[in-house]
Amino acid sequence: MDKVAKYILKFRWVIIILVILTTAFLGYQIKNITINSDVISNLPDDDPDAVLLKEIAHEYGGNNIGMVILETENVFTTDVLENIVEITDTLSLIEGIYSVTSLSNILEIKSGEYGMEIGKLIDEYDIPDTQVELEDLKSRVLKKDLYRGNLISEDGTATVILFTVSEGADVTKVAKTVKKKVESLNIQDKIYYAGSPMLVTSISDLINSDLIRLIPISFFVIALILFLSFRSVRGVILPMTTAAIAIIWTIGIMALTGFQMSMISNNIPIILLAVGSAYTIHVVNRVNLERATDTHNTITKALVYIFIPVMLASLTTMVGFISFIFGSYLTMIREFGIFTAIGTFFSALLALTFVPALIYVLPPNKKAIERQRRRNKKSFLTDYVLAPLKRLLYIHPKYTLTTWIMLILISIGGIFMITRSVNIRDYFRKGNPTRIAEDIMVSKFGGSKPIFVLFKGDMQDPEVLNLMLQTEEYMKKSPDILSTQSVVDIIADMTEALGEERGIPDEREKIEQLWFLLDGQEYLQRFVNSDLSEGIILSKFTSPDNKSKKEFARYMRDYIDANSSDVATIRITGMPFVDVTMDKSLVRSQFASLTIAIIAVIIIVGLILRSFINGLYATIPIVASIIILFGFMGYVGISLNIGTVLVASVALGIGIDYSIHVMSHFSHTYKKGQDIYRALRDTMMISGKAIIINVISVSMGFLVLVFSEMVPLEYFGLLIAISMIFSGLGALTLLPVILILVKRKGKFIKTHNG
Amino acid sequence: MKFLRIFIYIIVSTGISSYAISQDAKEIMKKLDDTIFAASDKQARVKIILEKKGETQKVREAEMIQKGIDKKRYRYTYPESQAGIATLSLPDGIMWLYMPAFGKPKKISLLAKSQAFTGTDFSYEDMTVNSYANEYKPTLIENTNNAYVVKLVPRSDKSNYSKLIMYVNRTNFHPEKIEYYDKKDRLYKEAVYNYKKAGKYWYAEEVTMTDLRKNHSTMILMTEVIFDQKLPDEEFTVEKLVPEEK
Repeated sequence: MDKVAKYILKFRWVIIILVILTTAFLGYQIKNITINSDVISNLPDDDPDAVLLKEIAHEYGGNNIGMVILETENVFTTDVLENIVEITDTLSLIEGIYSVTSLSNILEIKSGEYGMEIGKLIDEYDIPDTQVELEDLKSRVLKKDLYRGNLISEDGTATVILFTVSEGADVTKVAKTVKKKVESLNIQDKIYYAGSPMLVTSISDLINSDLIRLIPISFFVIALILFLSFRSVRGVILPMTTAAIAIIWTIGIMALTGFQMSMISNNIPIILLAVGSAYTIHVVNRVNLERATDTHNTITKALVYIFIPVMLASLTTMVGFISFIFGSYLTMIREFGIFTAIGTFFSALLALTFVPALIYVLPPNKKAIERQRRRNKKSFLTDYVLAPLKRLLYIHPKYTLTTWIMLILISIGGIFMITRSVNIRDYFRKGNPTRIAEDIMVSKFGGSKPIFVLFKGDMQDPEVLNLMLQTEEYMKKSPDILSTQSVVDIIADMTEALGEERGIPDEREKIEQLWFLLDGQEYLQRFVNSDLSEGIILSKFTSPDNKSKKEFARYMRDYIDANSSDVATIRITGMPFVDVTMDKSLVRSQFASLTIAIIAVIIIVGLILRSFINGLYATIPIVASIIILFGFMGYVGISLNIGTVLVASVALGIGIDYSIHVMSHFSHTYKKGQDIYRALRDTMMISGKAIIINVISVSMGFLVLVFSEMVPLEYFGLLIAISMIFSGLGALTLLPVILILVKRKGKFIKTHNG
Repeated sequence: MKFLRIFIYIIVSTGISSYAISQDAKEIMKKLDDTIFAASDKQARVKIILEKKGETQKVREAEMIQKGIDKKRYRYTYPESQAGIATLSLPDGIMWLYMPAFGKPKKISLLAKSQAFTGTDFSYEDMTVNSYANEYKPTLIENTNNAYVVKLVPRSDKSNYSKLIMYVNRTNFHPEKIEYYDKKDRLYKEAVYNYKKAGKYWYAEEVTMTDLRKNHSTMILMTEVIFDQKLPDEEFTVEKLVPEEK
C-alpha cells in the first residue's frame, strides 16, 4: 500500500494532466447525449408481449400517433367544427407529419340519395351550419364505432385530432411544432396533447428542466453543508470538484457509447454528487488528521490508512447499483445501475489518486490545519449529540434495542400495505397538463392504453373477417372495453352502402372488389398491412387497475386459445399486458436486487472485518432501515414504481458504509483494550461525527430531488433521505447496542455486575 | 419632355410586356390543352404500377376508352380478383362503379378531391383536369432552351395545391414535368411525362407521379392507343358498364 501511495505522489503531474485531458475529452462528448423518454423502446426483448407490442407499434404506426384533444361544451357547433378543420389543416402542413385524421377529414361511406357516397364526414368547404345539419352529423358520428370513442367522446364534448409522425422524423421537433402552431391559432376551447410523441416530448422536457434546475441546487446544498462541517474552502472545493469530474466522465462515457438519458438516469448526477463527494471527504479528513514531518509523508500515511476503506466503501455502493442489472424489467433501470456504478468507481478512483496528487501540489498551510484540528476536538455534535447518545446506549441498551424492535415490527405491518404503480400517468404531478390529458382520455375516450389484437390471416377471407367481427363483439362484453376498431367496420359500412345487408359479405370476390376502393387509403394503414396478410383490432383499456388488467388478460387468452386456428392465428398485446408483467417484475426485481445486494454486502463486509458474524452484525442496521423504509412507504401510501423500486438497494449500498465504519472502529479499539466502554466512546466520538455529517450531506443532496417534476424521482429523493437517516441512526444506536449485549453476554458481564 | 416620353414608354412597354407574358402563358396553356386533349376519342390499354421506395408493390391493368374530355371508362382486367370492375366518369363529377360480385352498377359520389385515386399517387383532382388554361391562372416564369416553365395557380379554392409548376415542351406543347406544391408552398409531388406521337396526336405513353414525402410512386403506361374511332355515346352509359356476356 505504501508503494501505491508513493507512486501516486511520484506521478502526481501525470495524474493531474490525465484527469484534465480526460475531463476535457469526455466533457466535449456530453453535447452528444440524447434523451430517450420512450417507454416502449425500454421494454425488454425477452417478454413476448413487449416484443409483439414493439412490432405492432412499428408496423401500424401506433407508436407515432399523437393526439390534439379539444374539449368544449358541444363539439357539434359550426365554430368548433371550424376549429377542428383549422387544427387539422395546420397539423397536416407541419413537416414530419405523415397524416392527420380528424372529424373534418375522416372517410365516410354511406348510401346516399345518389347511390354510394364515399367522402369526408365533413366537407371543409361546406361546414354544417344549421341545427338540422348539425344534429344529423351528430347522430351519424355517434352511431359509428370508427368515430365514437376514437375521434369523438361518447357525450360529444371532446374530440381528438390524430396525427402520425413520419418514420425517421425528429419526434421532439414535430411535437414542439404541433404545440406551438396549435397554440398560435388562439382557439378558445380547451386544448390538450396526448399520445406517445407528445408524452415522450413532455417527459423529455421535464427531464431537461429537472437537470438544469436541480443540479445547481444540490451542488449548492451539499457545498453549504460541507462548509458548515469543515469550515474550510478546501473542504468544499475538493469534494465538489471530484464529484463534478466523476459526473462529467460518467455522462461523457454514456454519450460516447451511444446510451441515452432516460427518466431514471437523469438523476445520476445528483446521486454521484451526494455519494461521490463522500470519498474525497474521507481522504481530505485523513490527511488533516495525520501528523508527519512533511507533506509527502503526511499524504503517504493518510493514503495507506484510507485506501482500503474507501475502495471497499465504494465497492459496497457499486454492488447496490449493480444489483439492478438482475431482475429489472425496463432496460433504463439496468442502464442506470451500470452507469451509476461506473460513476461511483470514478469517484473513488479520483478521491484516491487525483485528490492526493492535488493536495501534494497545493499543500494546505499549517495554520489552517491546526485550526481544523482544534475544531475537530470539540464541537456541538460531540458535546450535545454524541456524548449523551453514547451514555444512553451504555445505560439502557435493552430499551434502545426494544425501541428498534418495536419500530421494525410496526414497519413490517406497513410493508403489507405497499401498493404498486406502473401507470405512466402517475409519474406526473397533479395539475400537469399531460396528466390532465391522460385523465380526459380515460374519462371521455375509454382509456389511453392501447390494446392490439393481431390476426395473421387473409384479410380478404370472409371467415377471417367474421372471426375479427366476433372477436370485437366478445371484447366489448368486457367492462373495460368501450369500443373497438378494425377494417371490418369499414367493410361492413361499404357493403351496406352498396345496398346489401350491413356485415361481412359471404363471398370472397365481393371483399376483394371492395378493396379496389379502399386501396391506398392512408387511414387503413392503421388496421391492415400492405399485402393484406394480417390486420389488427385496435382498442383501449379503461381501468388503471392491475386486477382488471389481469382478469382481462385471462378472459382474452381463453378466447384466443379456443379460436386461434390455421385460418387465422390470433395474438393479443398492448400496454395493459405489459403493465401486468411490469407490475410483477417490480416485486421480483426489488426482491432480486435486494437479495443480491445483501448477500454481496455480507460477504464484502465479512471479508473487511475478517469475520462472517461481524459482517452479519454490520448488515443488521441497514436491513432494519430498509424494513422501516418499506413500512413508511406502506403507511404513507408511496407506491412501488420504477423510481422507488431503486431506493432499497441504493440505500443499502450507501448506508452500509456507516456500519462498516462503526464495526471496524469498534473492533479495532476493542481488540486493543478489551473495554467496551472505551471502544464505544472512541467509535461514537470519532466515527460518529463523520457519519452524522455524511448522513446530513447525502440526505440533503437527495432531498433536492423532492423538487423534481417527475413523481418517481420526487419520492426517490425523499425515501433515500429517510433511509440514510435511519441507517445512520442504526449504525450509531442499534449496532453498538447489539455489540454491547453480545459482548456482555460473554466475559464482560461478570466484571461489570459483580 | 424627352425624359417624360421615355418614362411613359418604359411604363407602357413594361405594362405591355407583362401583359404579353401573361398572354404568352395563357397561349401556351391553350396550345397545351389543344395538344393533349385534341383527339375526339381515345382507346388504350393502361398499366398502373405502384412502387414504394423503388420496389414494385402492385400492378393493375385496365382498358380505357375516352370521348371528349370528360367521358371516360375504365374496365379493369388485372389482377384477377378485381377483373371486371369498371368505372365510368361523366361530366359534372358523376361517377358510376360496377363491381361484378355485387351485380348492379352503383353511382358513387366522391366528396373529396384530395383523396387518392384507388391507391395511386394521383388524387382525383389530378385525374380530372379538363383544361389547364381554364382551371388555372398561368404565369410564365422561365423560358429555357427546351421548355416554358409555367406557374399554374388553381382557380378553385377547393384545390389541395398552392401552385403547380409545369415544364412545357417548346416545340410540341405537351407537359414534360409538373411539380405540385402543397398549401404551404412546399414541393410534395412530381409528375414526369414521356409523350409520344401516334398519327397526328400526342399522348402520354408513360407518366410517373411521385409522392416525395412518402417515397411512393405510381407509373401509368399506355399502350395500343387508338384515336378517333368515332366511339358511340352508348359506350359511355351505365348499361355498358356490365359486360355484354352477362
